[in-house]
Amino acid sequence: MSITASGFVNSTSRQNRVTLRKTLISCLALFAALLLSIVLMSLIGSEALPVRDSLCALATFGASSCGLSQDQFDILFQIRLPRILLAAAVGGSLATAGAGYQALLRNPLAEPYLLGISNGAAVGTMIALVFFGTNEWTRPLLAFTGALVATLAVYRLARGRAGATPERLILAGVIVTTFLSSVIVFVTTLMDATRIRSFTFWLLGDLSGSSKALLPVAITIAVAGTLALTLNARSLNLLMLGERDAFDLGVEVGRVRVVVFVVASLLVGSSVAASGSVGYVGLVVPHLARLSLGSDNRISIPAAALLGALFVIVADTIARTIIAPRELPVGAITALIGAPLFIYLLKRA
Amino acid sequence: MLSRNFRASAIHAVSILACALLLAGLLACTHSTSSQQSPEGPVRRELTDDAGRRVSVPVPTNRVISLAPNLTEIVFAIGAGDRLVGRTTYCDFPAEAKAVAAVGDTLQPSLERIISLQPQVVLISTSSQLEVFTKQLQNQNIAVFVTDPRDLDGVFRSIEQIGLIVGHTQQAEQLIQNLRDRTRAVEEAVKGRPPVRVFYQLSAEPLYTAGHDAFVTDLMRRAGAMSVTADVPGAWPKYSNESALAAQPEAIILPTGGSMGAANSTVTEALAKSSAALQGRVYKISDDHLTRPGPRSVDGLEAMARALHPEAFKQ
Repeated sequence: MSITASGFVNSTSRQNRVTLRKTLISCLALFAALLLSIVLMSLIGSEALPVRDSLCALATFGASSCGLSQDQFDILFQIRLPRILLAAAVGGSLATAGAGYQALLRNPLAEPYLLGISNGAAVGTMIALVFFGTNEWTRPLLAFTGALVATLAVYRLARGRAGATPERLILAGVIVTTFLSSVIVFVTTLMDATRIRSFTFWLLGDLSGSSKALLPVAITIAVAGTLALTLNARSLNLLMLGERDAFDLGVEVGRVRVVVFVVASLLVGSSVAASGSVGYVGLVVPHLARLSLGSDNRISIPAAALLGALFVIVADTIARTIIAPRELPVGAITALIGAPLFIYLLKRA
Repeated sequence: MLSRNFRASAIHAVSILACALLLAGLLACTHSTSSQQSPEGPVRRELTDDAGRRVSVPVPTNRVISLAPNLTEIVFAIGAGDRLVGRTTYCDFPAEAKAVAAVGDTLQPSLERIISLQPQVVLISTSSQLEVFTKQLQNQNIAVFVTDPRDLDGVFRSIEQIGLIVGHTQQAEQLIQNLRDRTRAVEEAVKGRPPVRVFYQLSAEPLYTAGHDAFVTDLMRRAGAMSVTADVPGAWPKYSNESALAAQPEAIILPTGGSMGAANSTVTEALAKSSAALQGRVYKISDDHLTRPGPRSVDGLEAMARALHPEAFKQ
């Protein structure tokens, strides 16, 4: 399970070209799989839609209804597809953020949850809901602020005389997580009973309730965030050797750290604002990417983003169909799939 | 092999017996009451509550705590508000109720506060799920009476039982008679009219509705409506947006206002362009009247019937 950086230090331009090609091929393959899953999963739901007509309508990007009734068309394009795209954005964001934290902190267990970042974003979202209920834009904004504050708190707590050791960092994360958890419970208890239902939604992770207004924000941040971290992947590779060695090799350690913290907070903030705290994605997916494609961040970060999108799309399809027409929160499914998968990965490594 | 068969059949027999006993208990349920006069103490009476438990209560009970808003409303409606020594923070009706000491909310009442108020009976609703709590109170010699009204008849039964407990049987009977008459008037008015297919939106984000076991599902049926989610298992299921749209409801009911404030006052995004919403058949009805199985449920019944069948109430 350890992340090694051997082989990256002396990478020549030929090796770079090989890496680039490998990145492109694996990402293209994953992207094709993602597109396929978007189409396939939009054919599945609690209401049966005619497959051929739905495929036809999807192929025209909704320009033609292809014989679907108005309700069927709305189900496909107004309800199902936006939810699937949001699942992709949330999955991609969480997996990328997890990959970023793991590389920067040289800790395979670093994850938005374990570090308390998701809880920070959840507290931010709750504040937005309580004080600016109708203004949806405040949710990702305050969620990002909450995530960033939590990140900085963890980092400050973790910094001792010898710098931030991975162990110290995880412990600081546990402290921040439990502290913010009790803040969430406290706020929930103070709230009117009628609002508790919508709050439990943020705690469990659920894609059904979020408004479509947040979808473009979530997708933009997911794509931009993944690009930003991928562009810093070489520095992150070198950082795996240790901060001092990376510094000696010319990495601007401070700058990279700020970039990863801000970008990952943005990613976690936008996904928590849209869907609550969906667990295990940031932990399991980057591991899966590294195990199958190697630990070069230039490949594993974009691959994790695509795999994460795929993972949450499938998990949410299960969540919305398994007891249809009732629904489960997607967080329950990602944990059900994620926990055993993680144990398997740990044993295999 | 033999022993396993034997065991299986033994388990089978025991479970049949248990079911039979349970059934007998249920059948014997509400009206089987027995009084017993102890030589020096007060009269105690054994009642069967909605959880099927035999509960011995002093008659009449002078100190009652209610742990649910609908039960508080019943206690006041039968003129026994002066017996109430404790209520939850949710119990905000009638206004006099607010003068009674609060003991926490329905889900997290304070055991210490309750014990210090020295009630003889604590009324709880099954939705509060207080099993451990019940045991602790019983150890303090405080009777716990569980109510679980699933429909209007269940509400009438709760009123009758609470009337028995506080010794206001006559007021309880009058109240029940009055509520029954109003209910019958509504049912007569909507009789013969095709039921309106209704979607009940408990909350929009995420979408929750009223399922098979919800009290309000019965109320909608009586109001001349047919809930499109009437057969969904459970009381308050989280519901699929697309199934709500595909059900093509003719009207949407939003329980809102009252203690809910402005919450749930808009139709969920998925149904915003449904024909019910486009035709303006979205009806906001006081949440307190729909979700508290008490005397004001009949107000909710009337409000729903008038909204869904306005022509039936024209003079």
